[in-house]
Amino acid sequence: MSAIRVLVGVLGMDQHEVGAVAIAKTLRDEGMEVIYTGCFNTPETIVRTAIEEDADVIGISSHSWEYLYYMPELIELLKHNALDIPVVLGGSVITEEDAASMRAKGVAAVFGSGSVMANVVASVKSLAARDTAH
Amino acid sequence: MKENLTRSGIKLSPVYQPTKLDDDYGKRFGNPGEYPFTRGTRAYSGQGWIQRELSGEGDARRSNEQFKYLMSLGQTGLDVIGDSPTMSLMDPDHPLARYTVGTQGVSLCCHEDYRQLLEDIPLDQMSISSSAPSMFTVASLYLVAQERGVSPAKLRGSVIEWPFYSEHCSYAYKMPFDLHLRMSCDVIEFCSKHMPRFHGYLEDTYFFSEAGLNAVEEAALGFVEIRHIVRTLLARGLDIDSFAPRIAILTNCSMDFYEEIAKIRAMRRIYARMMKEEFGAKDPRSQAVNIAVHTSGLSLTTEQPANNIVRGAVQTVALGLAGVSALEISTFDEGYRTPSKEAHLVGLRTQQVIDLETNINAVQDPFGGSWFMESLTDQVEARILAMVKDIESRGDPADLVSSGFFKQFFHGTMGRYHHQVQDGEVVKVGMNVHQMPAAEDTLLRDISEEKIPPLFDRIEQLKAWRAARDQAQLLAALGRVHDVVKSGENMMEAVLDATRVGATMGEIAGVLRQAWGTPYDPYGYLKSPLGGEQ
Repeated sequence: MSAIRVLVGVLGMDQHEVGAVAIAKTLRDEGMEVIYTGCFNTPETIVRTAIEEDADVIGISSHSWEYLYYMPELIELLKHNALDIPVVLGGSVITEEDAASMRAKGVAAVFGSGSVMANVVASVKSLAARDTAH
Repeated sequence: MKENLTRSGIKLSPVYQPTKLDDDYGKRFGNPGEYPFTRGTRAYSGQGWIQRELSGEGDARRSNEQFKYLMSLGQTGLDVIGDSPTMSLMDPDHPLARYTVGTQGVSLCCHEDYRQLLEDIPLDQMSISSSAPSMFTVASLYLVAQERGVSPAKLRGSVIEWPFYSEHCSYAYKMPFDLHLRMSCDVIEFCSKHMPRFHGYLEDTYFFSEAGLNAVEEAALGFVEIRHIVRTLLARGLDIDSFAPRIAILTNCSMDFYEEIAKIRAMRRIYARMMKEEFGAKDPRSQAVNIAVHTSGLSLTTEQPANNIVRGAVQTVALGLAGVSALEISTFDEGYRTPSKEAHLVGLRTQQVIDLETNINAVQDPFGGSWFMESLTDQVEARILAMVKDIESRGDPADLVSSGFFKQFFHGTMGRYHHQVQDGEVVKVGMNVHQMPAAEDTLLRDISEEKIPPLFDRIEQLKAWRAARDQAQLLAALGRVHDVVKSGENMMEAVLDATRVGATMGEIAGVLRQAWGTPYDPYGYLKSPLGGEQ
């Protein structure tokens, strides 16, 4: 079985990379292939890279409220391209209420402040497995 | 000067020193205001530190209201931060800026914004500290002061310079390092000539240390940058004493109480010796560095936000004991947002309670002579110096920036910190110990989670305002900015002229990039008003 391919990135003008860098390292340590796209992404660049890199899962790290606007755009753009790639969102600024709203809009999993890394890893693994089962 | 007494009536001396003064005391410590300034850069004034809170939200008018509110609470200096686009030299109508205009700081991009931002602020009395791109901040401050009939020579405050680390920690200029460095040096040179009371170079070690650095790493990287900028200015033929008196440092303060005090004492001593012995500074003001502090946002938690008030208070006590020149507390809602009105009130009142109720400012450097604190200060100092030496031994620091050495370093510290918190090595009450169910964690949560919506209106207004400018005048001024980059002269006069006729920060920054042979818009959305391939 080939390694799970995860795209990790940050959207818009959000330049707080601490979370993104940490999750990228953790996923690599778990044996996954991480495509780290850094900052200044838009839904368009994320989708384009996900296609080019054949990503199994997309992971977005956020320390800015921009995600409230960008995430629904990203989900729509994936649908528009007929791509069934699950999107995981993480970031300490995400409140319980906003997490629920993101899930309702199609984000596969949301991790707010204080999340345990092992849970994030397990979630990515199970989403990737679901993805390959299609 | 008023006499300070304890509640029991014991007289407090402004400074305590050994009963027998010897050479060692003079070499290692000196009294406050004496070389090597370990114990403080100024003799006792009784005034304490400048008390301010980070502000900036929405547009310039809203931020001006914030200033007035903070001043009404007794704030003694202003501290303003730009929103993410502003910090990254991007105008609010840039497509990538759309969802973040005015949400994490104030949106500033032109002279008119600064007019509104500073309306009714007494420019000759209030110190104005800006976390915003220095070239444009200084140009606008200078122009607004002139318009208001205030001599720019009277302006006080500071602006941050960050050529080394901005691309990798929070605020990317997307400019070649050499261009960014030149902008910084031009600003410092300009300020030393025309705004002699203003710190045209605030070395901001706060923002990059939030990438999970410890105290030694923070100070070492700060000194690497200071040393490179000083060398660059000296290579221009400037006299060290013409600019060094106006270098200041803004540091972080974590929850490691003793080490943070030792760090500030060690930094004052390292700076003094470096300036005098290595760079030959003769003016004592060039050897005594003002240190201001922003308490650590990274030390705060989104869980149980009221705990953050306590963290801010503890950090403020540490800084009062260390003797800093100015202070901002990262407020209880920091995990989610820039400070709310309520958080501003609590932050400022925290500073005032500690300043006015505790006698903390009655005695300078009260830890001086403590066996423990002097040992810790020596050890922190030795480690900072060793790390500076190690980094400089790896090659020209400018090449280390370009080769990604620091980027890699920050990625390492980010990951390390994250794991330290995950593993509980860094203890955070309410987050990795003494947690409570989310449903019960309600104190101050509503205020902390309240959002600042993006200013979509401002985007449309700016587009209309752009079109109404005198285009011929604008293009001519931008053309001169382009030429001055090529000429190698100080760019400030050309930037002032362009700002005066309505050029925006994004346009001027784009033209600087273009003249350097790099794309006008590094994100590939915009075209240069000057035309050309880029």
